[in-house]
Amino acid sequence: MKKDINLKVNGKIHAIQVDSKDMLVDVIRDKVGLTGTKEGCGTGECGACTVLINGEPVNSCLYLAIRAEGKEILTIEGLGNPASLHPLQQAFVENGAVQCGFCAPGMLLSAHALLMRNPNPNEQEIRKGISGNICRCSGYVKVIKSIQQAAARLQQDAVLQNEGRER
Amino acid sequence: MLLKSFEYVKPNSLAAVLDVLDELKDKKSSVLAGGTDLIPWLRAKAKEAEYLVDLEDAGLNQIAFDKDNARIGAMVTFATLCQHPEVGKKLPSIAEAAGQVGAVQTRTLATIGGNLCAGVPSLDSAPSLLVLDAQFRLQSKGKERMVPAEKFFLGPRRTVLQPGEIMTEIVIPIQAVFRASFQRMGRRRALTLSIVNCAAGVSLGGGSEIAKARIALGAVAPTPIRAYKAEQLLQGSMVTPELLAEAAAMAATETSPIGDLRASADYRRKISAVLVRRALENAIEQTRQAEASTRAAAGGAK
Repeated sequence: MKKDINLKVNGKIHAIQVDSKDMLVDVIRDKVGLTGTKEGCGTGECGACTVLINGEPVNSCLYLAIRAEGKEILTIEGLGNPASLHPLQQAFVENGAVQCGFCAPGMLLSAHALLMRNPNPNEQEIRKGISGNICRCSGYVKVIKSIQQAAARLQQDAVLQNEGRER
Repeated sequence: MLLKSFEYVKPNSLAAVLDVLDELKDKKSSVLAGGTDLIPWLRAKAKEAEYLVDLEDAGLNQIAFDKDNARIGAMVTFATLCQHPEVGKKLPSIAEAAGQVGAVQTRTLATIGGNLCAGVPSLDSAPSLLVLDAQFRLQSKGKERMVPAEKFFLGPRRTVLQPGEIMTEIVIPIQAVFRASFQRMGRRRALTLSIVNCAAGVSLGGGSEIAKARIALGAVAPTPIRAYKAEQLLQGSMVTPELLAEAAAMAATETSPIGDLRASADYRRKISAVLVRRALENAIEQTRQAEASTRAAAGGAK
């Protein structure tokens, strides 16, 4: 079954035709043309394909594209860009938290979802927040350190912004 | 990518869902809840569907508490359940189980009704519901029935659900001084099926005598089970460490586990006893606290 839908990705609406069987990860990559989202296991166990739907992390390899109509999708391309990295991305770069990079987009989006819910997570909460994202090369120590660093920076920025507003 | 296409329908009310399912009774149709179980099955071609009926807009995602019951819509996600303050306070074993299913991404999508209807022996939401005497509301066009949790499961991936019928609501009686605890053991803490899961609940008659005991286990039999003999051993007895150990060992003898890639049958039996003991200890502690706060509230009212 084919259907024309409007898919809202990173704030931009894409008018595309999908088949009912199309998975969101494939549509994002092949039809929207954003290849930052990776498919790893294809069974919802590795988290490489994580995107945020209405702010909540989901595995886009388990999500029918047709079901995403009318929802807000955030992919790694919407988090930051090479000219202006998101503080989480900046921290991953500075700490060498990325080796092959295949898990990084999903890892970053899970971390972003965590920080939106809980701006100041402890180590245990960070571990739980990224427990659905598997990294097979660099390990998790630098990832956790990066998330802690980004959380601190984001909170600092928030304080500065508030002070700015008060002036 | 899925190999075969299908007709996708998303009716915007429960009545419309039941109408559609009634029309599709003789067709290969599947009901889509969270999809975290169904989609991998379709992708692996272990299951075929010509029609997919999405329950997302059927209005089954409410949680309500009244004087006697908690009512949880079948489409309530584990993410919602594990963050819901009232569920955490009144039904802690449900919140604990919900917070340990899969990982964050799974819990965003996976629903309690979908978990139950998948009917796998290891499903994490079942033991607490068995212990809490939950009932499931099953509906099809023009029909409705309530099925007790312990009568719902027939075997691995088999339940009493008939063609055209869906679970719409989980009804849990609120028992003031009965608290339950959920425990699970997997190979890791996230993204893994339980090797064993269990829940235990108790109410205490006055002092340390157990008035009512409930124990349920999953992943150790073709369906989630109650450990009736262990419950009987506890009922009417005084709480002692020896009694809890004896009941836990008894519960382990009531299991009939298989050995598979996750654990051997023998290991599952051993872990059953450990988890039942932990669940009982935890439930007794919680029940004592609940009794103390009930007394304090009653004292304050005077």
